[in-house]
Amino acid sequence: MAILAVFLTRRPETLLVQCMILLFSLPLLGIGGALVRSLGLICPMIGLIFIITLLFYDVQTALLLSVRLLNLMTVSFILFRVSGVEEIGNTLKWIGIPHSFVFIFTTAMRYVPLIGQKIRNIMDAQTSRGIDLRPKIKNAGNFIALLMPLLIQSFVLSDELAIAMETRGFGRKGRSIRKMHPLTGLDYSLMAIGLGFLILFAWWENG
Amino acid sequence: MIRMKNIRYRYPGTGWVLKGIDLSIQRREYITVFGSNGSGKSTLGYILNGLIPHFFNGTLEGYLAINDAGAFPVVGTVLQNTDAQLFSSTVENEIAFGLESLGLPESEIERRIKEISERLHITDLLGQSPMDLSGGEKRMVAIASVLCLRPSLLILDEPYSNLDWHGIRQVRSVLREIHEQGTNVLVIEQRVGGFLRDATRCIVTEHGKIIFNGSPEDSYEILRRNHLVPNYPKRCDSIPACNDPLLSVRNLSYRSQKKEILKNISFEIKNGETVAVIGKNGAGKTSLVKQFNGLLRPTDGDLFFQGEKIKGKATSQLATDIGLCFQNPNDQFFKDNVKDEILAGARAIGKNTDHAFYTICNIFHLDSILDKSPYRLSEGEKKRVALASVFVMQPKLVILDEPTVGQDGRFREVLASLLDELRTQGLTILIVTHDLEFARATADRWIVLHDGRLIADGYPRELCRDEYLVRIGAMIRPEEDEELIF
Repeated sequence: MAILAVFLTRRPETLLVQCMILLFSLPLLGIGGALVRSLGLICPMIGLIFIITLLFYDVQTALLLSVRLLNLMTVSFILFRVSGVEEIGNTLKWIGIPHSFVFIFTTAMRYVPLIGQKIRNIMDAQTSRGIDLRPKIKNAGNFIALLMPLLIQSFVLSDELAIAMETRGFGRKGRSIRKMHPLTGLDYSLMAIGLGFLILFAWWENG
Repeated sequence: MIRMKNIRYRYPGTGWVLKGIDLSIQRREYITVFGSNGSGKSTLGYILNGLIPHFFNGTLEGYLAINDAGAFPVVGTVLQNTDAQLFSSTVENEIAFGLESLGLPESEIERRIKEISERLHITDLLGQSPMDLSGGEKRMVAIASVLCLRPSLLILDEPYSNLDWHGIRQVRSVLREIHEQGTNVLVIEQRVGGFLRDATRCIVTEHGKIIFNGSPEDSYEILRRNHLVPNYPKRCDSIPACNDPLLSVRNLSYRSQKKEILKNISFEIKNGETVAVIGKNGAGKTSLVKQFNGLLRPTDGDLFFQGEKIKGKATSQLATDIGLCFQNPNDQFFKDNVKDEILAGARAIGKNTDHAFYTICNIFHLDSILDKSPYRLSEGEKKRVALASVFVMQPKLVILDEPTVGQDGRFREVLASLLDELRTQGLTILIVTHDLEFARATADRWIVLHDGRLIADGYPRELCRDEYLVRIGAMIRPEEDEELIF
């Protein structure tokens, strides 16, 4: 819902207020440090968007768009940080998405750090034998040396994963689900309050 | 319980991998299957657990019967690659996955998770992510995730690979317990170790056939003859090392994400020496050698190579002076033939290595495979190609990170003699390993790392009997080493 709120925001002042609220909520949830570490990835992306909009529109639009993007990323960051992958997966199942699709999502999430580790290993191995992989224009041709091993290892990994799942009965009929978080009255009322705020907010922003 | 008669199998598009296997498994057995890379031992495991013919295509011939009154699953499998085996976000969910697949009710699932985690002593790990565990712990969780399904036969594919002596001891004692409590255990390994003493039967495979099937006591002779126990060559007389240091490390410290990985390390490596860096997994060995060619930069202290500071030089430029070869050869293959693969690094920095190329191909016996695709090689060949691609740059110092992981005894012997040959040509070699037997066969000097500190530096023979080192777990006496049985 917070994501929708960011989309609905029109006025620049409110966007900045949102940004402040988000910044203050981070330490409350105790995940400020983790965000700062991942800024290394977020910043270049936002910078790129900023430059592109600056070239095609004007400074104000560029700034607004960048802050909006930052807010969006922070919100989704909070979502993935505070709720476990299986929790999100189970919620998706509750919405009615079939188990196999949810499983694809949760497993993909689980392997993000592993693939990151693999990328680092490959880069280390290639640079150690003279293939420069630092992000520079003259190294562009060398990146095949990163992509090929990564691609092939991912195929091998997915094959082994399929074996691991097969040997533990994936795809058998009559699968049970453990620890569903049943929605309580509290959940429903919180959802209602959130929705109420969202409608109010949308009306106030656009009215 | 299981009977196999004249089983033959081939994968689509290959020759026969299994050429007539006769095998029967009784109740309450602990079987070890040894074989070198490519001997068909993993394929044998796939037939036992039904992946062949249900998952893999190919041609299967022969007679196989599995008689068991018990419930599904009869056979549980623990794969070699724990990263593939453990795909959930927490250990608890990992164990639950198989139980959910069986469709058990929630209360039963909770009960079994509790039971299995107590049995394998992993109760503290339940809430953690499998990504954050040590090698030994991952292996325990992998075993738990399969054992909770209560299979009557538990197959483990190379459960000891990539573990240090501490992890090996952990897994060994758990497997012994599991067997004593009534589950059949079948361990598939290419390395012989102390766990052979726990086994009730030993099987040796070679070229898709069973060449030995008998008691562990009688197997020693054949294991040696088939190089499953490496028979390391005697080393040539050592050439006295020159006195001028090639690499000096002064008060080096390294921190990453507020964690101290390396603490105040100082030592020197002289021209022509062969040194082994020893330590358990996680002691900081790899972090240390990554400093030498600039993959990591020290937070404190200095590094000198031939009297010059390493600081500020790009890693890819240092490759002609300092070569570093990592554990997994698959991390670096991207060309479609071996020759281009070996020369890729040299070409990238524009170094002419034609002469060195032929010498290296000769030393590493690569002449016959130069036109093959690197992906289609055996494990030992892959490793040789990866090593050659580092050596062809003619570095003065070569660092090998865990060169023996995933390699069979025969390759270890070959590698030891290769290193000896290169050493006599005056090359300085640094071997990072937890394989003490290999380190003993190749290095004249050991540097021991423990918890990010350099705690010993000296002759192997003295260090492996050092009371203090053994007590804190940084070293193990040869007679207690789980990897040695002779």
